[in-house]
Amino acid sequence: MPFTDISFREKSAWAMGALFLAITAFYLVDLQPISWREGVAPPVDRHFIKIMIATIVGSILIQSWLASHNPREADTPADERERLVLARAGNLSGIVLGFGCVAALMNYLVHPNGDLLFHGILLSLLVSTIAESALQIFFFHRGA
Amino acid sequence: MGTRPPITNRVKLHRMLAGGITQADLGEAVGVTRHTIIAIEQGHYSPSLETAFRIARLFNAGVEDLFGWEG
Repeated sequence: MPFTDISFREKSAWAMGALFLAITAFYLVDLQPISWREGVAPPVDRHFIKIMIATIVGSILIQSWLASHNPREADTPADERERLVLARAGNLSGIVLGFGCVAALMNYLVHPNGDLLFHGILLSLLVSTIAESALQIFFFHRGA
Repeated sequence: MGTRPPITNRVKLHRMLAGGITQADLGEAVGVTRHTIIAIEQGHYSPSLETAFRIARLFNAGVEDLFGWEG
C-alpha cells in the first residue's frame, strides 16, 4: 500500500513513531560517552533539554507538514473506527509505560540510584510512545 | 481486534447496485472515512449500529440486507 493511500492518522502514527525512535536513539547515543566515563550518566539538564526541544519542534513540524498536505482530513475529527484504534493503542501503551515505571522503581529498591531511576522512567515514556505509534499502525491495518 | 468479526456484509454489492457510488462518497455520507468503509467491506471492522443503519438507509435497504451473521 503506497504511503499516499493511507489515512491521515496512520501517516501521523508513522511519522511520530519515527520521530520518537530517532529521539530515543539520539538520547541513548548522547548519554553513552558519559556513561562510559562515569558509570550511570546523571540526568544532565543539557541532554534533557535537547530531547525536549527535539520532541516539541519535531512534533510541530511533522503535524504542520501533514496537515498542510492533507488539510481536509486534518480538519475532520476521528471517526468511530479511528477513535477505537487510538483508544486501544493508548490503553496498551499505558500498560507499557506502567510496566517500565514499575520496573525502574523495583530496580531503585535494589540499587538506590536516582540517576538510573530518572533514565528508566524517561526511557519508559519514550518506549511507550513508540509502542503507541506501532500499535496504532498495527490496528489500522488489522482492523478495529 | 485482529480476529475477523463473524459478520458478513454486502456493502460493496450495494454500492455497485447504487450506480457505483465511491467508498469516499459513501464514507462522507455516513460520517466515516474512506478507510473505514474499506475496512468494513473487507470484513476487518464491524461498524457501530448507528453507522450500519446510516448505510442501510442510504441504500434504502434494511440492516439485515447489508449485514449478516456468519455461519
